[in-house]
This record gives sequence, C-alpha cells and structure tokens, in this order.
Amino acid sequence: MPLRSLAWRLALWVLAGATLVFLASGYLLFRMVGHPLLEQAQREAGALASQGSSLVQERLDDITNTSRVLASVIGPRPLDTAPLIHDALAGNADIASLAAAFVPASAAAHEAGQSPFVSRQSDGTLARRDLFKDPQPYWNAAWFQQGLACEQGCWHAVFWSQSRHRLLVSYSAPMLVDGKAIGVINADITLDWLQGVLSSMHLPAGTRAFVIDQAGTYLANDAVDEVGRKADAALLDQLKTPANPHQLTLHGEPAWIYDQPIHGTQWKLILVVPEALIYAQVRHAFMSVLVLGALTLLLLGLIVMVTIRRTLTPLGVLAERAEQVARGALDFVLPPVRRHDEIGRLTHAFDRMRLELATHLQELTRVAQEQARLASELDIAQQIQTALLPGPHYLDARCHNFELFAVLKPARTVGGDLYSYFMLPNQRFCFMVGDVADKGIPAALFMARTITLAKAMASRAQSPQQLLQLINEELCRHNDSCMFVTLLCGFLDVATGQLTLASAGHDPPALWGNHAPRWLPVVSGPALGLDEDASFPAMRMRLKPGDTLLAYTDGVTEAANKAMEQYGGDRLLATLGQFHDAGDESAHRDPAKFLVEDVEAFSTGHGQSDDIALIALRWNHAGLDKGTPMLDLVFPASLEKVFETLDLCEETLREAGLRHDVRADVRLVLEELMVNMVHHGSPSAGESIIGLRMTVVKEAVLVELNHDGAPFDPLQFGSPTLTGDLADRDDDGGLGIHLVRAMSSELNYTHDEDGNHLQLRFAHPTEHGHGT
Amino acid sequence: MALNLRIDPLGPERSTLYLEGRLDAMSFGEFDKEADKVLEQMANGSTLVLDLSALDYISSAGLRSIAKARKTMRARDGHTLLVNPQMQVRKVFDIVKAVPVKEIFENVRELDDYLDRIQRKVLDGGDEVE
Repeated sequence: MPLRSLAWRLALWVLAGATLVFLASGYLLFRMVGHPLLEQAQREAGALASQGSSLVQERLDDITNTSRVLASVIGPRPLDTAPLIHDALAGNADIASLAAAFVPASAAAHEAGQSPFVSRQSDGTLARRDLFKDPQPYWNAAWFQQGLACEQGCWHAVFWSQSRHRLLVSYSAPMLVDGKAIGVINADITLDWLQGVLSSMHLPAGTRAFVIDQAGTYLANDAVDEVGRKADAALLDQLKTPANPHQLTLHGEPAWIYDQPIHGTQWKLILVVPEALIYAQVRHAFMSVLVLGALTLLLLGLIVMVTIRRTLTPLGVLAERAEQVARGALDFVLPPVRRHDEIGRLTHAFDRMRLELATHLQELTRVAQEQARLASELDIAQQIQTALLPGPHYLDARCHNFELFAVLKPARTVGGDLYSYFMLPNQRFCFMVGDVADKGIPAALFMARTITLAKAMASRAQSPQQLLQLINEELCRHNDSCMFVTLLCGFLDVATGQLTLASAGHDPPALWGNHAPRWLPVVSGPALGLDEDASFPAMRMRLKPGDTLLAYTDGVTEAANKAMEQYGGDRLLATLGQFHDAGDESAHRDPAKFLVEDVEAFSTGHGQSDDIALIALRWNHAGLDKGTPMLDLVFPASLEKVFETLDLCEETLREAGLRHDVRADVRLVLEELMVNMVHHGSPSAGESIIGLRMTVVKEAVLVELNHDGAPFDPLQFGSPTLTGDLADRDDDGGLGIHLVRAMSSELNYTHDEDGNHLQLRFAHPTEHGHGT
Repeated sequence: MALNLRIDPLGPERSTLYLEGRLDAMSFGEFDKEADKVLEQMANGSTLVLDLSALDYISSAGLRSIAKARKTMRARDGHTLLVNPQMQVRKVFDIVKAVPVKEIFENVRELDDYLDRIQRKVLDGGDEVE
C-alpha cells in the first residue's frame, strides 16, 4: 500500500538512482585505489622477505666472520688453536661448536698437535675433544674435503649429530698459509638456533616464513616438524621460475610466495603470505567504501523521504479531499498554503473548485427540485386535461342510434389536440375534433380554453358554423400570441341522423358505410383565433344506417416511420378500407383504436412526434321502431302546399296512433307557423322554401321547421291583449303565435344564414289522459 | 275534409249557420262569403247563431272570420251566439278568450230558452238582460 504513495515511489526512484551512481563511482574508485593498494601490499611483503633475509644473513655473517678470522689467525699460529677456538665459542653464543681440523701430517698439524673440537653442551658448558682421536678419520669426511676446496668458506648440508642428537649445519673456512690450505675451521650451528633467528622476525599473523638450502631442505620453518625435511616438490618447481612473487596454492589455500636469497649462502628465505592477507587491505578499503556508501545512501534516503513526504503531504491531503468530493462531501478543511508553488496553486484552485462545485450543486439541486415540481405539475395538468375530455366511448343510451369512439394521444405529457362531445337540447349531439398549433403546455392551455368555450357556447349556438363563429370571436380577443386552433365541429340530430358539419381549417373527415371510405368535401373556413370576422360554411347531409364518420388531426397523417415517410391520407383511407372490408365483424369494433394501432405500428421506432386525436361516429339508426312514422319534406311556401302537408302530417300522426286532440294541436301549430311563413315569405321576389321534418318518438312528437325567409322569431312577441271577446280587438294579429305557444310543449327558434329554424315538441302521453 | 256550410233558417231576425269540417286559413274565405250573404239580410237587433257541432277544427284564421262576423252583428245591435263547440274548438276559444262564456251554448234547446228569455224581457220592459 505505501508503494502506491507518490512520495514513496519518488523516494524509491531517487534512492535507486543514487545507488546506481554510488555503485558506479564505487567501482571506479575501487579500480583506481585497489591496484595501488595491492601493489603496496606486495611491496610490503617483499620488504618483509628481504628484511628477514638480511636478519638471517647478519647473524650468519657473524659466524662466517668469526670462522674466517679464526682461520686467518690460526693458520700462521697453530699452537694457540685450542684456546682460540674455546674462547671464540665462549664469546659467540650463536655457534653450537667449533673445530679446527688440520690436514693430517701437515706442519700445522704437528705444531698444533691436535685438531681441537669444542662443542656447547646442553647445560651450556663447553666440551673439548681432539678430532684426531675420533674413530672415524675426519680428513675423509665430505665437510673437510669441501672446506679445503672452497677458499671463501662455504656452508654444508644438514646433518644429524649422533652425539648431540640434533640437526646441524656447518660452515667451513680453509686455513690458508701461503695460499695453501692447511686445515679447515668448521663452525656448527643448530637448526634450532636458525629457527630462533627466524622466529625473531615477528611476522604478521597468518604469514609463514622458512629457510631452505640449495637442496630444498627446510633449514628453518614456522612448522617445526618440517625442519630437516625436503620441501614440497611443487613449491620447489615454482621457485625455479623467475617470477617473484610466485602464486601457489599451499595446503588448499592460495598464497603469494616471496623468495629472497640469503647472501653468503645458497639458501633462500621464503615468505608465504596467504592471498587473503594480501587482499585484506583492498577488501578493507572496499568494505569501508561499501559501508560508507550504504550509510550515505541511508542518510540520503532519509533526507529524500522526509523532504518528499513533507513536500507532498498537502498533495496527499488534497487527494483525500478530492475523494471526499467524489463522494459528495464538500465541507472540509484544506491544508494551509505555505508557499505559492504548484501545490499552493493547486490548493487554491481546489478550494475555488470546491466553492464553485458547491454553488453548482446547489444550483443543480434547485433545478432538479424545480424540474420535479414542474413534472408533478405537468402530471396534474395532464389529469386536468384528461378530465376535460369526455370518455373514449359513447353509446347513445336512449335509442342506440349512434355510437362514438374517441382517442387522444398527446406526444408529450400534455398536448394541444382535443376532442369533445356532448348532448344539446332538442336531440342534438355536438362533437368536435381540434388541433391547436404548437405542442406542449401553451397548446394545452389553449386547448383547455377552446374546449371550455365550446361547451359554454354550444347551448347558444344553433349550428356548428355558428358555434365556430362564437368560439372564434372569443379566441380572437387578446390573442397576442397568435395561437390558433383548427376545429371540425358537427351537430347530429340524434333522431334523424341529420348531420351538419363545419370546419375551421381542419382536415376533412372520412366517411364510409355502404361505400368504401372517401373524403367528405367539407369546405373549410379559417382556423379559429386569427380573424374575428371569419365565417364558416356548413355542410349538411343525412347519415344512412351503417355510416361511420371519422375525424382526425394531422398527427395521424403526419406520423412518420424510420424512413421518414409520412403515414399520409391514402394510407389512412386504405386502413379504413381494410376495416370496412372486415364487414360485420367491424360493426362492433372500434375504428379509432384500429386506426391508432395501425399508425403506431407504422411509426414504430420513430416515436410519436405530434399529438393524435380521433373521433369516429357510427350511425346505427337502430333506435327508431320499425314503422314509426316520420316525415321529411321540403316544399315551396304556398298555401296549397302547406295544406297538403298538413293533411299528410295529420294522416301520418293518425297512422302512428296519436290521439285526436294531439293531432289537432300539432295541426293548429303547424298551420299557424307555416301560414305565417307563406305570408311573411322571402322579401325577395322568389318563392321561399319550407322544410318540415316530423318525428314521433316515445311520448313526443318532434317537428323541425325550416324556412329560408326573412327572420321571424315567434317568441319575440308578447302575449296579445285578450279582453274576452275577439270582437273587441281592432287588429287580429298575434293570435296565431299565441296559439302556437300555448299548444306546443317546447319551442325553439334560431336563425342563421339559411333562414329560420324552429324546433317544436309536442308531448303525447301514451296513457289515457289529457295532454294539455 | 274541407269546410261545409249550411244555412237554416235564413231570416232577418234570426239566422243559423251550420259549420262542418275545418275553419282554417284555407277555408275561412268560403265562410266569409257565406257569412256576408247571411249578414246582408240581417235586421237590427237580430241574432246570428253559429252551430259548431260539426266543426272539428279552427285556427286563428277561422277565429278572425268569426270575430269579423261578430263585429258586424254588434254594429247592428245584434247577437252572435255559438252552439256546441267541439273539444278542439272550445280549447282554442279558451286560449284566446274568443267569446263571452254566456254566448256559448251546449245545444239548440239551451239557446232557444235563452232567446225566449230575451224576447220576454224585451216585451216586458225593454231591458236587456246581460
């Protein structure tokens, strides 16, 4: 885990680099210093060897000198030989024994009378004997012959003294008289003594020294056991080579061997230094450098660690704070800024960032709350909008004459498309489909306004075109945003199937029944909300049983699929054609749902881009009993025609089984009204036309009278003055209207551009009793 | 079924006009013509009786014709009396308060009694009973 810390990694890298540099420089240093050190060690060893050789030589020189002096002194005066030798031995403790051996039968031998031999006993006393008396004649011995031969004196080989039980080595110097050897002075030294000389060298520990003679025999050795033995052959071979020092592995240990000849002899002093000892200094130096380097590195590491950690601590805190920020906590303390370096700037920037972030978060939270509130308001708005709409299915409960299906699918939560329907007085059913320009909330509000206005105005309007006009006037008021709505409005006479349609810029509806679906050519006025003086033409038609009228908004035809093709009017007609061709099965199905499902399937993958509203009105004409008399007549306004019509009405009502008095009431009212129409006909010359439609429904006779004459409202007149005797009256006007009002159960008058429209209702109780 | 008219008797003091069928905007002309013929020969203070037993129907046009006849008779100090109007006619009369109730009689006998009483009053004191 600590290795993940930047400080640790940085420190490690610095240390690694430092170590590398240290190793490289250490190696170079070692190379530079190591060699001289080695040479020095070798020089020292060599010096030690020559020092040892000098020491031995010095002591030997004493002996040889003593011997030579004796030889030179005794030669001319052999008489004093014995005391001289005795004194010399006493005076020189180094010598084990001294002998003066004369050539037998020589003058000197005669003069001396003896060949004295003085030796030092083990208790330190001196013993003397005459060599002439020895059983073995000395003059045949090797040492005597050789001693005579070598003028300068020479050392002999090691020998074992039987008498003294020691290894000895002897030196012989000839006594010369007139250039002729008369005898030999022989001095013996014990190898023990030589050993003692060697020991006085005080060699460094581990170093060994020994002396070998020309035959390779150890004369002295640190290992006392070896004295007198032949040296190792390998060693001797090595010593013959000119190299000095020699390198050899002795007793399994590599060693440097220094040989130094001892002058005056043929001996050599050999110094054996183990290689380890030679290299010890170098190794020591190496170790020192190593330890020093390690210590330096350790110290450097510590300093680097402390410095980096100290420098980077704020960074660690910042990193931790950044993690807190990531978790959403913004309230914390930042490390104090010591310097305005990168970390200081980072800390400042971090602090600013935190503040900005907090502000931003606050803003975000506020926006999110705002959005949640808007969303909930939109939901409520949708509920309200939905509540404005009547249900998606309406079946005329009284007589099942017609059935209505509706669908509304806003593209967003709320939309601007609308449909509505409701019953109006006098058996009229009003329905509409509309589309507000634009989408979303403004459109929804405008839609709500339109639908509410329509409902409020409908009772005042006698026709869809008039309703459109009324809504238009209201919508035009203060419509600064120039919103507008297209609306298709229809009034259906639920008793007869008479349909009046008026369109305000809306797409024409489709109609099918006995024929395949086709467009209904409704001439359209302008959209509502733009021109307050607009007027709207009406289209009248009679629905036949089985007819279905479908009104829709452009969300249907403009629905697009993935290839951006529009659904289109042709496809709409084709789909309705399929529905129509399904025959009787389709009679009870919902054409609106069928169409919407087809549109949805078409636009799968592209999504709904516009609101969709649909209304399908199916005219069943099922509610009228078979044989119920019904009249629908249009005729010129003349008395003859009026009375023909009255007779026809009377006959029809009689056949319908109406009571005589009701029939008479109907006749009276119709006569009064129609005669009035004949008399107050069209102001223009042409003959006016009367339309009469009479329906018998349960307990009532419904009559609609239309006349394209001058406006005449029978309801505007007050009751006439009735004195009780008609003969009192000067004018006879108003009686007919009075009768009309008295006789009819209900009377409605409207006037539009088509003229006067009167709706009448006569109650006819089926039970036996008097109606009015 | 139009209007049928019959005059019996026709006399300057008292004439009776029988109406049968409908008196409406179509037939009131016939009635007016017949009524004029009767009214022409009526003397002052005479009585015109309209027998409505067979009149099925009357409309405002018919009412106007009857009112006209009554006006003419009133101008001659005469009376116009109505006998036995049928249900529809009576209803119309009621609605427009066409004629004083005392001038409508259930049948001819009632009418004759009424006329006899008047006759006697005229002979006795010349007072007219309202």
